[in-house]
Amino acid sequence: MFHWLEKHPFFFAVAVFVTIAFAGLVEILPNFAEASRPTIGTKPYSTLELAGRHVYIKNSCNACHSQLIRPFKSETDRYGAYSLSGEYAYDRPFLWGSKRTGPDLMRIGNVRTTDWHENHMWDPAGVVPGSIMPAYRWMFANEADVDTAYAEQVTVNKVFNVPYNKPIPMKDGSTETVPMAASLDAAKAEALADAKVIVADMKNQDVKDMVASGKIPEIVALIAYLNSLK
Amino acid sequence: MKLWIGGAIFVAILMGITWMMAGGDIGANDTMGSLAMLGALATAVIAIFVSIKYVRQIQEEKAGGELADENWDGIGEYKNELPMGWAVLFLATTVWAVWYYLVGYPLNAYSQIGEYNEEVAIHDASFADKHANLDAQTLVKMGESVFIVQCSQCHGLAADGIDGKAANLNKRIEEKSVRHAIVNGANNLGYAAPMPDRNGLFNMNTGALITDAEIATVSKYVANGMKGAGEDVFQGTCAACHGSDGKGMEFVAPSIADFNPELVATVLKHGKKGVIGAMPAFDLLNEQQIKAVGAYVTSLSK
Ligand code: HEC
Ligand code: HEC
Ligand code: HEC
Repeated sequence: MFHWLEKHPFFFAVAVFVTIAFAGLVEILPNFAEASRPTIGTKPYSTLELAGRHVYIKNSCNACHSQLIRPFKSETDRYGAYSLSGEYAYDRPFLWGSKRTGPDLMRIGNVRTTDWHENHMWDPAGVVPGSIMPAYRWMFANEADVDTAYAEQVTVNKVFNVPYNKPIPMKDGSTETVPMAASLDAAKAEALADAKVIVADMKNQDVKDMVASGKIPEIVALIAYLNSLK
Repeated sequence: MKLWIGGAIFVAILMGITWMMAGGDIGANDTMGSLAMLGALATAVIAIFVSIKYVRQIQEEKAGGELADENWDGIGEYKNELPMGWAVLFLATTVWAVWYYLVGYPLNAYSQIGEYNEEVAIHDASFADKHANLDAQTLVKMGESVFIVQCSQCHGLAADGIDGKAANLNKRIEEKSVRHAIVNGANNLGYAAPMPDRNGLFNMNTGALITDAEIATVSKYVANGMKGAGEDVFQGTCAACHGSDGKGMEFVAPSIADFNPELVATVLKHGKKGVIGAMPAFDLLNEQQIKAVGAYVTSLSK
């Protein structure tokens, strides 16, 4: 065996690598495989939530907000339970962020509600005195891009086998299913139905009118996404 | 011979430098200082002369012994015994490696989460210890801090609800909230029997369902702090559950006359969705903090 390896430099190099990296391979790889599996209770995003996620990325919210709670008492007191890698299983790309001008948003859905986000995105300083977060008023008029969101859903479902239309185990032992529509039109209808639920808790009349006429403003998609961060 | 003389001179120079750097301060009675100088001398001598010994060995000694059969392009190998020290070290390392591999790493490895758990346990213990017997005033102060961190974004720093964006906690309840509860019923707080809507609210005085006019008067009455017109409607319709003073009954209905820490704790546990907006349930606070923020909210409308 050894003589054979000595005569084949490529395999010799591989064997050297395996020998040197052996401890790393047995310690890191199984852990990695285990930790990157979705945690119980982690669901893929619905069409509307994905559209909101695109709004979040488009406006670089991640430049000021992280989505990663580190295991320190000071962090978990303020933001909730520390993040687990499996919770990012359906984040493509993940939005960990590296800078906290504003607070972490990993679990913002637990402590803020639709109507608060509506007030805050319209005028942050109106609810948090002295806030330096910019207002995002155009989101109340711009339409969300549901087409791209649906395209992403189909892609991740085909390529990465993200479990849409399949029961997903929840923490309390029940299961939930995140639907993925069969066609773009059906996806739009589904997103609109979700948007109507959100808008029922909102006050801005222009936004209500838009949704009533079948359009989804960016703010509604964004709030759907923020509410899903738990 | 030259090497040995060179070594001795080198040691002398080293000691000279050491003396110049530190030795000048060493007095006649300074035993520790003298011992340190002695140690420095010993170190220098051993280092230099051991080096010289090996240099000599390389220069003079020739390897010997029986040659092994293999040779590689003229380079051969002697069949010498392993040096004892080397063999012992090798075996010891092997034993240690097996231990580390099977026991040391898996059972004793550093864990970030382990450290976090310890940190939390220590903090929780000292927190409970430090705040075991708070007097009422300190409790309210603590509640105010919790409120500013966790609640002020919605309720405002003055707890006034920021122009109707959330409940104004400086008074128990607004008229429109009472009206909303009567017209739509209420089922936020996890009572076994929720509050019925207007089609389930009988005025015992009239023997009929509550009317629009009665809803208007009783809402004003409750929002007014249980004062003014409407007491008869309240007693006839609401008192059966909310108590004749409006302060609620355990397991039946919450107080609508004033805030109390239990009510605030219930709101925090279940959240609340009403005519003003939605408040999420809170699981970030520990028991002491819930008590404190309850005391603070209660103190606001006193
Ligand atoms: C210039 C940096 C900056 C940008 C960009 C920014 N934020 Fe903020 N954000 C802040 C700051 C600072 C705060 C804290 C003050 C406040 O609550 O307004 C904050 C607070 C928040 C909060 C409330 C968090 C809490 O715990 O109360 C949410 C939600 C939020 N931002 C969402 C967003 C979203 C969504 C975007 C992108 C559309 C965004 N932010 C972009 C700086 C920023
Ligand atoms: C059958 C018992 C019952 C009757 C009768 C009743 N309530 Fe209630 N009420 C409840 C319960 C239970 C709740 C708590 C509901 C929840 O879980 O949110 C409640 C909640 C409320 C609340 C909301 C409290 C808050 O914190 O927001 C108001 C206001 C209220 N009741 C007013 C009234 C008035 C006014 C009447 C009479 C017209 C009345 N109720 C009659 C059982 C009753
Ligand atoms: C995301 C915003 C938000 C946060 C954060 C929040 N609240 Fe509220 N809270 C509300 C809203 C909105 C209401 C009014 C609900 C309604 O009646 O429509 C409310 C109502 C209340 C009430 C009155 C409930 C009743 O029965 O009338 C209490 C008490 C209260 N909040 C306490 C707190 C405390 C204490 C905290 C902090 C630990 C807190 N809230 C944090 C939004 C919030």
